[in-house]
Amino acid sequence: MQFAEQAKKIYNKLVWTWNPGSEKESGDAIVKNILLHWFPNKISKGSLSWNYSFYLGTVSFVLFSILTVTGMILMFLYVPSVERAYSSVKDIEFVVAFGWLLRSVHRISAHLMVAVVFLHMVRVFLTGAYKNGTSVGSNRPVNWIVGIVLLLSTLLLSFTGYLLPWDQLAYWAITVGTNIASSAPVVGEKIRFFLLGGNTINQNALIRFYVLHVFFLPVLVLFLFLYHMWRIRKDGGLAIADHESLNQKPEKALPVKSKTYSLLGITNGTSVHVQTTMVNEEENTVSSVPHLIRRLWLVTLATTAATILLAILFTAPLEEAANPSVTPNPAKAPWYFLWLQEIVTDTTLKLGFITINGAFIGGIVLPTLLIALAVWWPYRDPSGTGSAGVWFSSERKKQNYAFIGICVVIIIFTVIGTFLRGPYWNFYWPWESWPTMPVKF
Amino acid sequence: MNESDSAQSPKETEKDKNSRRAFLQKIGVGSVLLGAGATGFQSVRALIPDILYEASERFKIGHPAQISEGVTFIEDRRLYVFKEGKTFYAISGACTHLGCTVKYTKLNQPKDIEVDGLKKKINFEFHCPCHGSKFYADGTNFAGPAPRPLRWYKLEQSPDDGQLIVDLGEEVEQNFRLTV
Repeated sequence: MQFAEQAKKIYNKLVWTWNPGSEKESGDAIVKNILLHWFPNKISKGSLSWNYSFYLGTVSFVLFSILTVTGMILMFLYVPSVERAYSSVKDIEFVVAFGWLLRSVHRISAHLMVAVVFLHMVRVFLTGAYKNGTSVGSNRPVNWIVGIVLLLSTLLLSFTGYLLPWDQLAYWAITVGTNIASSAPVVGEKIRFFLLGGNTINQNALIRFYVLHVFFLPVLVLFLFLYHMWRIRKDGGLAIADHESLNQKPEKALPVKSKTYSLLGITNGTSVHVQTTMVNEEENTVSSVPHLIRRLWLVTLATTAATILLAILFTAPLEEAANPSVTPNPAKAPWYFLWLQEIVTDTTLKLGFITINGAFIGGIVLPTLLIALAVWWPYRDPSGTGSAGVWFSSERKKQNYAFIGICVVIIIFTVIGTFLRGPYWNFYWPWESWPTMPVKF
Repeated sequence: MNESDSAQSPKETEKDKNSRRAFLQKIGVGSVLLGAGATGFQSVRALIPDILYEASERFKIGHPAQISEGVTFIEDRRLYVFKEGKTFYAISGACTHLGCTVKYTKLNQPKDIEVDGLKKKINFEFHCPCHGSKFYADGTNFAGPAPRPLRWYKLEQSPDDGQLIVDLGEEVEQNFRLTV
């Protein structure tokens, strides 16, 4: 039967051997497979090691996948209208079979994704992995910048996501968020109007954030992720591979001119993986099938299991329905924005007659400067190629301290905002009890 | 074929750059860019609403006699309306920092303040739950990140039925009073 043969052919393109009998079989599993062809055939032991990368990028992608799957189910159940949004989320929580679990998994994955993407950035910085090493034609700073955009997209996804339940948290987050935008000089009010689709927070605003959340931002993340992965291949793999090749015999393998599999099919000339071939390949590399793929599966399963467990332990809260007249006291952003909330509180400046709103300084100027600093950093990093792909390189000591310093400040502000701020954003030690506050004015 | 080969050859001369082929190419690329720009513009422009179904900024809040003495909070408009005998004034409940609703907070004992050289006695303040800004009874900011005083809005009396009208589109000074 021709149909059966075709089906088998397609099936064989989607699966691969777990236990290759030869190098050829192992290589075929990569290059003949639609899902795996973008991985290298062989991978260095360093790139594979747990304690170099901690597989944080993989974890981020797994979380993104979980978010996509749970999100698509939630889209069938959620109604993006101001009249029905809150009650549809309430239904998901209390009526829909396993709705609470879907919502909880979606929320926990989002929280974890913010944390893991941030940790991934920290890992890349501390290992100097944004630096070009020895491999030919690499341009890792570009991938670092793509990573920053991915981090920002993750934050925006979280922000747009927690607006959707249209509860008090949602309403006051959108109030504060869009007012930060409007604190920009000249164009601020216009930007706020565009974001909200009006002057007040209403249906237009909800549908805008909904479409951003379920379509624009996920698609952006998906494309950026693909480019992020493709660049890793173009850059000669993880930076640690470059570092490993430095410690090898000095002769370098010449790029082999041959017909090779490139990303886009068979091409003549040298290909990315030929250029990164290491000298002692036999000793230092293993076949991606099964070694890399097995670890990727392990990470996927562990992340999924941890997410579901956490989702059961920490179920998603739902505050009261949105009420424009009563701001909760205290009104707190989610933890990953609390450092910003703390900063916009502290940065209103008085210069003579002019008062500059902290919303502008802390909410726009400072974050922009931080992003600019991060983008600019790889281009000003004076350390040598030997510092690429190695944890806490002595040559990059000062840089690592500076980076850790910034992270610690952000974390301290986050902790203050999370644990030490009470009603009216007053400071309370954890052992001090908060005064009871009237709900109405 | 020959023509395109010569256009791509490295010995491209100044004349080739100005050839009819190059000119048509520019027109082609230019029109694609123009088309993409126009499509982009109309897409974004469609998202700037030309009609809003929002409540009017000018609205009636009831007859002066119906409004109770002291403070009244109009919830859906986040507006504090004050009545002192026959005079009325209205202060916005939206914090000038990031727009949270400030809370009317009664003081345990009256407080003496000085705003712009004027001495006043107040017995309540406005406190913001979001970032801790504080305002005196007249809306003047004195603590926290708020960069300016709470907004005061114009009150007037409707000529047809005598109800009070608030106009959120018209800010007024702190000495504004409507006497009826």
